[in-house]
Amino acid sequence: MKLEIAGLTKCFGATRALDALSLAVASARVLVLIGPSGGGKSTLLRVLGGLEMPDGGIVRINGRPLPSDPAALQAYRRRNGFLFQQFNLFPHLTALRNIALPLEKVHGHAPAAARELAQQALGRFGLLDHADKLPAELSGGQQQRVGIARAVAHQPEVLFLDEPTSALDPEMSAEVLELIEELAAASQDIILSTHVMGFARAVADQVAFVAAGKIEELAPPASLFAAPRSPLCQRFLSRVMRY
Amino acid sequence: MSRHHLIANALVALVLAAGFGWLCTTVFAMLGSQADWSKTWEYRETLWRGWLVTLGISFAALAGSTVCGLLFMLGQRSALVVVRWTCRAFLEFVRDTPLLVHLLFGYFVIFAPLVSRPLGARGWDDKLIIGVLVLSVFEGAYLGEILRGGVESIPRTQWESARAVGFSRFQVYRYVIFPQALRRVLPAMAGLFVSLIKDSSLLNVIGVTEYFYNTRNFISRSYAGLEGYVPLALGYLVLTLPVAWLAHWLEQRFRHET
Repeated sequence: MKLEIAGLTKCFGATRALDALSLAVASARVLVLIGPSGGGKSTLLRVLGGLEMPDGGIVRINGRPLPSDPAALQAYRRRNGFLFQQFNLFPHLTALRNIALPLEKVHGHAPAAARELAQQALGRFGLLDHADKLPAELSGGQQQRVGIARAVAHQPEVLFLDEPTSALDPEMSAEVLELIEELAAASQDIILSTHVMGFARAVADQVAFVAAGKIEELAPPASLFAAPRSPLCQRFLSRVMRY
Repeated sequence: MSRHHLIANALVALVLAAGFGWLCTTVFAMLGSQADWSKTWEYRETLWRGWLVTLGISFAALAGSTVCGLLFMLGQRSALVVVRWTCRAFLEFVRDTPLLVHLLFGYFVIFAPLVSRPLGARGWDDKLIIGVLVLSVFEGAYLGEILRGGVESIPRTQWESARAVGFSRFQVYRYVIFPQALRRVLPAMAGLFVSLIKDSSLLNVIGVTEYFYNTRNFISRSYAGLEGYVPLALGYLVLTLPVAWLAHWLEQRFRHET
């Protein structure tokens, strides 16, 4: 995955969530965004995922510019996958139906084929036992795993994950992180934000430190975590690594 | 249930049954001797026809108010400020004025001069059509607010997730928001539909020959009392109870699901 961002700006009222943010990643399988809460990680992911229209700037993913009209943006969302912190699943549908419905209605598969694909997606992550359960009957970790299964069932170009484990306890986080690692190993392009530094170090090809709506630093995990150059990043890492 | 509860329940039930029984016997003792149920039998055809008209009005207005309610709801969620405000103002006006006024004003002032003749020329009953229309708009205004409440109660993440999987605006409503919102507003909707059936009796003021109209005619012509009012109440119960039961059943079913 190749990513070029220049002068990306997004305001919410008086707050500049993204402040002329620029970033160039020549090639990376997994790009991880870290940084303080409210620094712009989520907004950046939401813009990249086609859920939010930027106020200005240029974004090119794999050489193609991010569309700016609603219809093209919807088509763009259909090509990619997106997962939020929690409550991704539709609570009135079973796990299987949650995956099959978009395959049927968005990607145009016949009902039987959609069902078959959904079963494969669940089977791939060892979730077949839960196929007929409603989200409320699943644990938080299982819900997120079904959510990921849904996000990758149509083989997205890029998978966007916005703090996928922030709402989970450590054990459930682990099962979700393992799954993401598995996806990365299967060469899925992923851009994700996280507060779990150990995971960022293990899975990332490139780590971007986002603060105050800008990219403060971009480096491979080995060098970023061992010797951060920007003072902001140094301070952030020394704080989060202390405990 | 403890023994005390059991005894208390039995006692209260006994008192209530006795009270109700006493009331019924007194009323029937006073009026029952004069009640002549053959009158009702004699007018059975008029009553039956009126009841059928009420049934038809109810079904038509049920469909009509659902369409109106959906439009009002969507109008209030429109991206255009002008549409939102117009809808809001219209809804407030409709909800804050009596249905009786709408029917009288709508029929005699607005619609009758405009469409009565063309409708009559085609052999259609203008009163019935206009009455159903006004009733649909009135109940639709309430339904619009109920639906809006339901739709707005669905958390933001559901809208976002639905967009994220690539659903179009219509599909977001169709597959994600409505199924969840309808479950939440089902009791309120059932109450409204029951009201609608009962409110249809007001159509008598513009001369629609529905159940109430025909029953009233029967009563004034034959000097009937109980013989008219008891079938009147029962006739409406036969229509409203299934709606209430259906709503209750659906509610139970969805409760197990979520």
